[in-house]
Amino acid sequence: MVDPQYLASIHAEIDGELDHKQRAELARHLLADPELRALRDGLRRVCDTLEAMPSVDPPSQLRTDILAALPRATARVVPFRPAARWSAPAWRLAAVFAGALVTGTVLYQSGVGRGPALTDIAGTMAGPSERTPGTVDTVRLNLGQASGRASLYRAGAGFGVELELVASAPVDVLVASGGQTKRINGLGSPGSPGGPLTAVELPGVMSPGQRVDLTFLVAGHQIGAATLRIPAGR
Amino acid sequence: MRRCRDGDRKAFERLVIRYQKPVYNAALRMLRNPEDARDVAQTVFLKVFEHLSQYDPSSRFYSWIYRIALNESVNALGRSKHLEAISGNEIDQAPGPERQVESEQANSAIESALMRLQPDHRAVIVLRHLQHLSYEDMGDILELPEKTVKSRLFTARQLLRDLLVKGGVA
Repeated sequence: MVDPQYLASIHAEIDGELDHKQRAELARHLLADPELRALRDGLRRVCDTLEAMPSVDPPSQLRTDILAALPRATARVVPFRPAARWSAPAWRLAAVFAGALVTGTVLYQSGVGRGPALTDIAGTMAGPSERTPGTVDTVRLNLGQASGRASLYRAGAGFGVELELVASAPVDVLVASGGQTKRINGLGSPGSPGGPLTAVELPGVMSPGQRVDLTFLVAGHQIGAATLRIPAGR
Repeated sequence: MRRCRDGDRKAFERLVIRYQKPVYNAALRMLRNPEDARDVAQTVFLKVFEHLSQYDPSSRFYSWIYRIALNESVNALGRSKHLEAISGNEIDQAPGPERQVESEQANSAIESALMRLQPDHRAVIVLRHLQHLSYEDMGDILELPEKTVKSRLFTARQLLRDLLVKGGVA
């Protein structure tokens, strides 16, 4: 019979919640007790196998089917009541103004309007009520051959990047974070399979302050870059 | 979010694009049947669309949508006969302990064992190990104290391990 105290320690160890001293103490008991060791090894194998199970892409038609099934009448029944701190019209106006000011400043500093030169853009925060839920950073894109926006959002334990692009030619996007890069091909053009909007999950664990670098390519040539960042304190 | 509430389909499409994969995967792991998971995912988004006015923007959106996904999955389980359809033999047919199991076989054995857990236990395994959520997030989704979530997860892990041991897999 396994002592419940050690059982709790085993689970805490699997969850990475033991400190050095607690781990050493558990290790001593594991060495002395083969039954306890077998239980720990079995639980760890189960958890490792679960963690390694790949996530499955949803059927390609799911999005279309969901959108097609939405009621024709709009969903709006109850008027939107934003959080209290945004309820006063003055605050809402101030938020919109501040958002526009920040966006304009960053776009100006990024070289918008200077012709076809490469465009490097840092993240700009949209007003909270305008953001899709989970969004932590957004940047508007004006890359000459393509325009739209990129957003970093939180979904569960991870993060993802959403891209909305309208372009005169297919745009490939390199999404780099934490030493890993994902490539999304053929966005933004009229013939793109997913339309102008797409989302990609970022691999690995992201930490506060970490940046996600986006590089935009048309026909293999870089047309611009942007950076999104996870705010500190998240 | 405001645009979604106003019935803006384009804004809602963003939500679908972002959350269709985690919602579909949560349903798939709860139900193990791709068709049922697809139906559940569709129902989840329709419910989200209909009930956006009830969503509290100060809370995490993904907690809300996961909660709906798990509830819909449990409802789907109640409607189907999948629990009964999973026979005990399915586990027993897995390779014996003397054999090195390949990852696909291990996955299949674990999926079978998961389906033999009660939905409450299955849900915590799905949220923790397949959706990689923290105890805090799991507590939000399940509307349970973290302590209860932990205790339920510990029990679920052991039940899963026992099932696999019985089947000669773990």
